[in-house]
Amino acid sequence: MSLYRLDAMGVTIDGRDLVRGVSLEIAPGECVALAGASGSGKSLTSLTPFGLSAGTITGSAMLEGQELAGLDEADLRKVRRASVGFVFQQPLTALTPHRTAAQHLTESAMQAGGARPDRNTLVAMLDAVGLADPAIKLRRYPHQLSGGERQRLMIACAIAHRPKLLIADEPVSALDAHLRAEIMALLTRLRRETGMGLLLVSHDLASLEHHADRVLVMQGGQVVEAGAAQAIARAPQHAYSQALWAATPSLNAALPDDLHVPGAPLVEAQDLTVRFAGNGLFTRPVIAVDAVDLTVHQGEAVALIGGSGSGKSTIGRAIAGLGPVSAGAMLWKGAPLPARRSREQRRMIQPVFQDPVASLDPRWRVSDIIAEPLVHLRPDLTSWGRAGLVKKALQMVELDGALADRTPAGLSGGQAQRVAIARALVAEPQMLVLDEATSALDPLVAVQIVALLKRLQRDQGIAMLVITHDLALAAQFCHRAAVLEAGRIVEQGPMAQLIAEPQAAMTIKLVAAS
Amino acid sequence: MRALVLRRLLTAIPTLLLVLLASFALMRFAPGGPFDGERPLAPETRAALEAAYGLNLPMGEQFALFLQRTLTGDFGPSLVYRDFTVTQLIADSLPVSLTLGGLAILLALVLGLAAGMVAALRPGGWADETLMLVATIVTALPSFVTGPLLALIFGLWLGLLPVGGLGDGLLSAPQYWIMPVIALALPVAGAIAKLARAGLAAALAQEHIRTARARGLGTGAIIARHALRPALVPVVSYLGPAAAGLLTGAVVIETVFALPGLGRYFVQGALNRDYPLIMAVILLYAALIIAFNLIADLLYGWLDPRSRA
Repeated sequence: MSLYRLDAMGVTIDGRDLVRGVSLEIAPGECVALAGASGSGKSLTSLTPFGLSAGTITGSAMLEGQELAGLDEADLRKVRRASVGFVFQQPLTALTPHRTAAQHLTESAMQAGGARPDRNTLVAMLDAVGLADPAIKLRRYPHQLSGGERQRLMIACAIAHRPKLLIADEPVSALDAHLRAEIMALLTRLRRETGMGLLLVSHDLASLEHHADRVLVMQGGQVVEAGAAQAIARAPQHAYSQALWAATPSLNAALPDDLHVPGAPLVEAQDLTVRFAGNGLFTRPVIAVDAVDLTVHQGEAVALIGGSGSGKSTIGRAIAGLGPVSAGAMLWKGAPLPARRSREQRRMIQPVFQDPVASLDPRWRVSDIIAEPLVHLRPDLTSWGRAGLVKKALQMVELDGALADRTPAGLSGGQAQRVAIARALVAEPQMLVLDEATSALDPLVAVQIVALLKRLQRDQGIAMLVITHDLALAAQFCHRAAVLEAGRIVEQGPMAQLIAEPQAAMTIKLVAAS
Repeated sequence: MRALVLRRLLTAIPTLLLVLLASFALMRFAPGGPFDGERPLAPETRAALEAAYGLNLPMGEQFALFLQRTLTGDFGPSLVYRDFTVTQLIADSLPVSLTLGGLAILLALVLGLAAGMVAALRPGGWADETLMLVATIVTALPSFVTGPLLALIFGLWLGLLPVGGLGDGLLSAPQYWIMPVIALALPVAGAIAKLARAGLAAALAQEHIRTARARGLGTGAIIARHALRPALVPVVSYLGPAAAGLLTGAVVIETVFALPGLGRYFVQGALNRDYPLIMAVILLYAALIIAFNLIADLLYGWLDPRSRA
């Protein structure tokens, strides 16, 4: 008998049909996954039957023989309280910041009418999700836990009342690569042990083959392909599924052999150290970057790989001249770079940030955004000269010139990131610092941006420092990689060698997770 | 947290010194003096008076003397209320102001938080619109309008409440407090209602509220456990500094309802150039401001643990 069953279910918001005709069935202990790019309706499909989105459902959604369509909020609340658990994407914002781990767990354990758990029970609950030092972690607030610990706490809360069905909405996409596999394995173990059904929403397609029984691929609010996870993962039939699968970076793909040939050293950081003073009299300074040596040659792409908090962005900002440097030397073509750089020196290294929409001024037109660096860095140019360079930059990032008059609000995520790259390219730098430039983008869009970066690297010979947590993505267009852990470079070398024979524990973890 | 308190107390010392020095200088450089009356005093009388109160000493020495006395808790005699020491004047009037301000803050919190919560539950609903309109009106009405208006209606026309004074003792007759407390609390309640509504609406839009809803919690539990604390942050930032002002004397309300509080000494001390009195009131006010800002900062740490350093 099925635990959860959708029959031609749709989702309507304000009279618009955003999801149509989804049918699926989950038996106890089974995992069914919804895959697709953002906007494909997979989150709406998973949350709306339980009243957790702005929409209402049409068709039928049956949980343990109870019809959910047409229930009011009070009844849906009872259903959620008694039989369903939820895990959301971003555990930092999904957990209440002023409540400790113990308070979160207690509330969850009691939601279905259970007795107030004692301390030993709480410790056991954290232990079951693989959280180290559970007795200490109980007293912690969400922001005092690491990303992986937070998501384990979130899962412990979601299963505390022993739900029959667990809904996990992108449970690992906000986590570092090497944690994703661990959290997915945890979910699989828990559902096997407790026999609960799992509805998994994911765009981490590579892991679905191992962790899901069936997969439904969604596009534009409809299921375009459905079937056994292994079959779809190995031989997707629908064109969209194929594109989605192809867009997932994998280390199994061959490394590129047509990269630009690197020249002489361009930027050298020697003994680079960055300390952040504690913000009190009695707090010790934090060493974010600890004596790092890093060289980027002319026309070379170097990946800086590490988890969150490893110091990779701090190094990138220091090299781009945007962040503090506490100690160490920085050389440009062999000559020292002063702490306060000249206009010409600033022009040579340009940054691109993670979130294109947030890093572009919403009130500016695209053409003004792209031209702004020229106003400061090339005061010799006339407005005609600037317009010419803007046009050239737009062509380099393959953007339609008609977009130049729009504001960022009128751009898609991929277009906005192209504008950010054009803004970086317009002053004709010799090097780009790309800080997680694709991780806020949909996989299908990210793959296009990666292709663009690869082309720029190969054809224009622009050096790149690629800051990322994704080894497989960096492998597609980087010559070398440096792996960072806790502010230190634990391993660095040519991409092929790093992947084939990883030495440091962190690198081995990263290779295994990719 | 202990470090925060210690640091604040240490920085409070130079802050207070600076405040005292600035007000001392301002007062002394302002024209006029404590003995300027309608009729000019005879020069020898004036000289004798100034010598008696130490006003003929060099300025630096006067300030040093003032500091020295302040450290021993002695502010000296008032220059205008000649039979009283400043300490006596404050000891008599401060309890009145503290009672008035304290009761008004409590009432304003109860009214404001309740109204803000009801309004935030259904943004744009009729309750929200009505309550926020009322909040705007009471915030905008100055207390020299609400005070006399209340006194007129409930005191003179309906004869329900006394229009002024305190009765026999500080808390002997509660009916004397009703109108002044309401008049003082209304604008504060209006401001709190608006801040609480905005804060709660923002807190309820947070992602963690969806997690709380996913647990099947009811509206009451969601507000009490997951939304109220962050919603109080703006209320605390407003009320911290405002409380110091309310507790050290609401001049207008005290005047309208003839309450012997500290507020009038603040105004009259400044007008009469009653140097010791005004310096003592300023010191009290500054110390309270610092204390309440510290309390507000400690509250932030409790309301949002992320703000703890």
